[in-house]
Amino acid sequence: MYASFANTFDRLVKVQNAVEASRRSDYFGQSTTHRSAHPFINLFQDGDNTILTAEVPGLEKEEINLEIKDNLLRLSGKRKVNFPEKASARRLERRNFNFDRTVKLPVQVDAAQINAEYKNGILKVVLPRAESDKPKAIEIN
Amino acid sequence: MTEEKNEVVVQDKKELTSEKEQTFSGKKYIPATDIVETKQELMVYMDMPGVDRKQVNIKLEKNVLAIDGQIDSQPYGDLKLIYSEYNIGHFARRFELSNEIDQSKIEARMNDGVLLLTLPKVPEQQPASIQVN
Repeated sequence: MYASFANTFDRLVKVQNAVEASRRSDYFGQSTTHRSAHPFINLFQDGDNTILTAEVPGLEKEEINLEIKDNLLRLSGKRKVNFPEKASARRLERRNFNFDRTVKLPVQVDAAQINAEYKNGILKVVLPRAESDKPKAIEIN
Repeated sequence: MTEEKNEVVVQDKKELTSEKEQTFSGKKYIPATDIVETKQELMVYMDMPGVDRKQVNIKLEKNVLAIDGQIDSQPYGDLKLIYSEYNIGHFARRFELSNEIDQSKIEARMNDGVLLLTLPKVPEQQPASIQVN
């Protein structure tokens, strides 16, 4: 029990530290967009898969659009904050927003195998590397 | 309030710094919150992306409403982070409630990373007329 708790915290802290360390990453090389276009994304690697996550709470699934062309992944959607009628505001911090962002991935992706899910306000897109893009081992005769 | 806005709004996550020091290291964040009021109730909306319904802890003690949301770091376990723009962490926030809330009837719902708390007001008390003898 104790060990599993420790692991959970460790893992979280590990991810948090990795995030801090990656702030100056040049993963995308030089690009036209500011590093923090909306929505903010994280990219993970899991074997041959690239996993993109974005925090976009409170969207309707139908409002999220994903498109892929070559290695360009476009995420767009909008969030509308709704309140009951005749409600008066006491504190407003959450926002309505539209987002539309194109991410240029440094690998070719197999468009047919892309898998996206939206759960607990997190958009997660699993992008498998295209077979043609994988390095081939060359046999020496 | 619900008018369409087309501008792009970038909102950074606010890190929680003011609470008591923690016994473990790691960052916590303050969920962005809307509070609106109708005649009958107070409604609190909180953005807590990554928090599952079962991982929300709501406590009410001495008129302080405490909301804690734990994210699950399991999915990140064996993945290698290669590029990052946002950090992750648990969420926590405290609110002081006034007496007009019926504390026994508070309801909570969680949907797509948004927590909705409904805090019913105590029905208005009839002004008591006092008879002078």
